[in-house]
Amino acid sequence: MNSYSLFTWRHPALSLLMIVSVGTAASYGHPFLLDNSIMIGIFSLMALSVGISYGQAGILSLATATFAAIGAFATAILTVNYRLSPYLGLLAAILLPTVCAYLLARCILRLSPLPLSIATFVLGGLVEVLIKQGGDFTGGYIGLSGIPRLSIAPSAQAMHFLTWAVVLLVVVLCVSLMNSSTGRAINTARHDPLRAVADGVDVPHLLSNTFAFSGAIAGVAGWLYAHHITYIGPDSLTTQVSITVLLMAVVGGVKVILGPIFGAAILMVVVLYLPAAESQGMFFGSILVFMLLVAPNGLLGSRWRLPTLRGGLERPTSPMLLMPAKEEN
Amino acid sequence: MILEIAEFLVQGMLLGVIYGLIAFPISLLFLTTDSVDFAVGGYAVLAGCAAAAMGGSGGIAAGIVLAVLASIIVGAISIRLNRPSHHDPLTVVLATFGVAVFIESAVLTFIGKDPMIQQPFEVFWNVAGIRISPQAGINIAVGLALLSGLYGLLYGTSFGRDMRASAANAVGASLAGIRVRAIWFGTYIVGGFLAGVAGILVLYTVGTDYSSGAGLTMSGFGAAVVLGLSSPLRGFLGGLAIGMVQAVSSGYLPGGWATATPLLFIFIILASGRMNITAVSGGRA
Repeated sequence: MNSYSLFTWRHPALSLLMIVSVGTAASYGHPFLLDNSIMIGIFSLMALSVGISYGQAGILSLATATFAAIGAFATAILTVNYRLSPYLGLLAAILLPTVCAYLLARCILRLSPLPLSIATFVLGGLVEVLIKQGGDFTGGYIGLSGIPRLSIAPSAQAMHFLTWAVVLLVVVLCVSLMNSSTGRAINTARHDPLRAVADGVDVPHLLSNTFAFSGAIAGVAGWLYAHHITYIGPDSLTTQVSITVLLMAVVGGVKVILGPIFGAAILMVVVLYLPAAESQGMFFGSILVFMLLVAPNGLLGSRWRLPTLRGGLERPTSPMLLMPAKEEN
Repeated sequence: MILEIAEFLVQGMLLGVIYGLIAFPISLLFLTTDSVDFAVGGYAVLAGCAAAAMGGSGGIAAGIVLAVLASIIVGAISIRLNRPSHHDPLTVVLATFGVAVFIESAVLTFIGKDPMIQQPFEVFWNVAGIRISPQAGINIAVGLALLSGLYGLLYGTSFGRDMRASAANAVGASLAGIRVRAIWFGTYIVGGFLAGVAGILVLYTVGTDYSSGAGLTMSGFGAAVVLGLSSPLRGFLGGLAIGMVQAVSSGYLPGGWATATPLLFIFIILASGRMNITAVSGGRA
């Protein structure tokens, strides 16, 4: 096994644990680095949600941040408006996006991929309006502030550990899912639904469950976001964030489990050095187009080779594997 | 009350013509490539902003040229990503999203957040007690003229015939010697031109700003799907319907619900499966 497959296939969780350990040692006691590490972890969760729905199940969702917003507002409303425990908020932040995603998927999964992605885009717009028109319940245009910090993570250091522990747990869950017969059925349903039906798979139910799982991951990200920032508003987790997260997953490699995390880390670090917030869109937009043209399988999903006289920087990998295709001898 | 509703309907028609113009390239592109250009609203914003910044007829021409140039870039990207034998509409949609995000950010960076609007008419027409802006006449005249021109292009020229053949069966058309990729590219350019004209009309009707692109794209998309995507020309009537629904809801519904109405409309149409091409059967059912 070479280092390449170590990062992408055999032990993604172990690889991630090693990287997080190094990152933790480097950021220990540095509030600025810790804060960025927490945000990278939260965005990694959202990008992982994209990886499961788009990379594995083929559902291009433009509502990832919307599900995160549902999770964030669920916990914010329970903890700020009703003074309930944030851990009850966690339950709501998982259940509500899961149910929303499942119901949405049951409604629209019979559609072809394009209308489906547009439906998720429309859902994002509708939820934004609902949040803005929610009055005191959602905080309206002002949003909800004063969301309590978590008792198990009162400091930035503890929040760093909690966030990355959740990311590791989700990676383990994703790897287990995709290495199971259910995971193979998801891949089959993605590439040849008729074949999956012939194999006895209930395709709409399976894809709805997968989409609900990705919604749950986004909901957990929203929960962490709300309790870390201690504020959530209508402009916090918008469709723009969904597109950014999608870009992170595409850059890292949407079909590789660790790809979305890699993409999130790279782009979050790059954003720190961009001159102005207004110009971030130009950067994100051009990077997205560039990646789709040059390396559609992403940085981790492509087998990079040195340029040869016959040309070509990379060879595309098989579209449905958790790991890049092995070199043919 | 009736006069009030009539006034809202007329205002809706003003907007509806614009949505109809944007709907045309959306449905045409969907029929020919199974894809949607999400940057089409961005072209309109580019055209509007350029026209506002430069002013006069030179500004209008520059705005439309800029929109066409942007559509040429998107067309080239799309052709690079897609081939008749290898359809991947989602990747193209993602790329157009990237361009839309780029345009929005570029307008925000170089022009700023301030909304732009041009209102050359101070005197309004009074028709049966309803106040109508002369801009309504311009919008409808431009819309109908372009619609007639496009109808002639689609059904009266060999380019239009090739375009329809590529839409009906891309592989078959390429086997028959039609340069399908060139047709696709041409479709993007036509879309850029129409979106540019729509952007100018938006500037002179309700105004535009850096963030208007996504809303225009979604309204144009709604207009395209409301009466069915089988004929691009139906999108024009769909645009009128969406515009009137939006205007009436903005008159009688509080705040942001007016924005939500067209979205809800689109969502219901999508959920009803009217835009379905290849469902989970993999397109073989």
